[in-house]
Amino acid sequence: MTVDVNAYLGHWPFRPLHYNTADGLITLMDRNGIDRAVVSSIHGIFYKNSQTANEELIAEIAPHRDRLIPFATLNPMYVDWEEDLKRCRDLGMRGLRLFPVYHNYTLTDEESLHLIRQATEWGWSIAVPMRVVDIRQRHWMDVAEQVPMSDFEAVVRKCPETPFVFLNGIGFENSSFVKDESLKQARFMIGISRLTSVLTESIPKLLDALGPSKLVFGSGIPFKIPKPALLKIEILDADREVKERIYGGNAAELLGLQS
Amino acid sequence: MKIDCHMHVQGNRSPWRMSDNDKIIEAADKLGIDKMCCSIPLTTPAPTPDEVRDCNDDVLDAMKQYPDRILGYCFLNPGYYREAIGEMKRCIGGEGMIGVKLYHQYFYSEPAVYPVVEQAIELNVPILGHAGHPTDAETRASQPRISDGVHFAQLAEKYPEAILIQAHIGGGGDWEWSIKALRRSPSVYLDTSGSVVDEGMIELAVRELGAERLLFGTDMTMEGGVGKILGANLTEEQRERIFHKNMSEILERR
Repeated sequence: MTVDVNAYLGHWPFRPLHYNTADGLITLMDRNGIDRAVVSSIHGIFYKNSQTANEELIAEIAPHRDRLIPFATLNPMYVDWEEDLKRCRDLGMRGLRLFPVYHNYTLTDEESLHLIRQATEWGWSIAVPMRVVDIRQRHWMDVAEQVPMSDFEAVVRKCPETPFVFLNGIGFENSSFVKDESLKQARFMIGISRLTSVLTESIPKLLDALGPSKLVFGSGIPFKIPKPALLKIEILDADREVKERIYGGNAAELLGLQS
Repeated sequence: MKIDCHMHVQGNRSPWRMSDNDKIIEAADKLGIDKMCCSIPLTTPAPTPDEVRDCNDDVLDAMKQYPDRILGYCFLNPGYYREAIGEMKRCIGGEGMIGVKLYHQYFYSEPAVYPVVEQAIELNVPILGHAGHPTDAETRASQPRISDGVHFAQLAEKYPEAILIQAHIGGGGDWEWSIKALRRSPSVYLDTSGSVVDEGMIELAVRELGAERLLFGTDMTMEGGVGKILGANLTEEQRERIFHKNMSEILERR
């Protein structure tokens, strides 16, 4: 089973996306052999009241709930996120995707930790993209910087039991996640969209340092085309069992999915 | 068949920021890349002729190590134009390199570049130019003379017979800008390399420029470079054109 942990629906304000409806995403997934995808609403990044986007997302994916797994986008600095979080659970959300730079907070702010811990209690995963787009091509109204690796490290130290999934990131093979024994034991996973199988070989290095249970396939569709991320696993020098874990086994365990 | 029009090798004299050349070949084998057109450019503002020569000697060594796999571009600093012309004659005329590599020492529309372009026309070889339209302040500050499609278009207007390749549409800048800037410059090719694998990028380039003006490249993002062409909405004929036919035709013009 191939599970893409890094998919989105909706409009990006700064360039047109294709395949950004539920039907479109399914088309793209079918074309690339992707069975299921974790999806959040891009609108949740930009609406002041992200909960509206979460409700839109649930309506949009209703015909495809067997393939699309909804993650909520919430801003812990916005009023009464606690009630929104409960409503998201009632709507069938399975985790959170956080955008601290766009929502103007840091992951270790008190309200953020409060949100993360509440979601963790319910067994949710917390996905955090290091970036949404390459900042070298961002629109002049897009002020986002990357989430620093040190913020990832800091929040995992604060919440070692939380199953974080870090998306669109690089540099993990040189970070405390592979050097610090306490961090290595924490419950985090790393999406491979910007990692490499050849030349800099960040995927093999992370497999050596962390074992096969920490890497997950995630492409960034529909911002990105999925083939590059799939190709990284295809050409990886690793056993079939390891590859199957990255394709979807690790994500299935994390999300409690049946194949 | 795949010919990577934009790749680099590691040098002993002027180390490039990547793994060794054996690993490059190993990676190319995994991805089905048959040949790689490689250079070692310097990113400093004014590399000296000796520094430039060291880079090119390293590329020549790699060409000799892997004669069936590695083709070489001759890196130049056009500011030393006499030495640059001499280096072209040595590396292209004498040693069989296939073209010129320019970096961001000058905008390509600046007269300092003209002698190199004229020599490339005489040799009938392409010029691959580092390029991009970065929109963030940090990248712009670090590369104040990086050229984009506008500079290529100006150069192509002056020298329509030159074989110009604008580097890495996926190099991180505004690729919509880069594509649009080349619409009225039919002699300029665009290479598809770089780490950006945005959905719709290759399709827009094909729609606006035509598949016959696109050249497959990786610029060290090897899985992304191959994957973005394999995964794009293209006909098989378009894919073949981009993967190798267009570059083969350029190489045959020498």
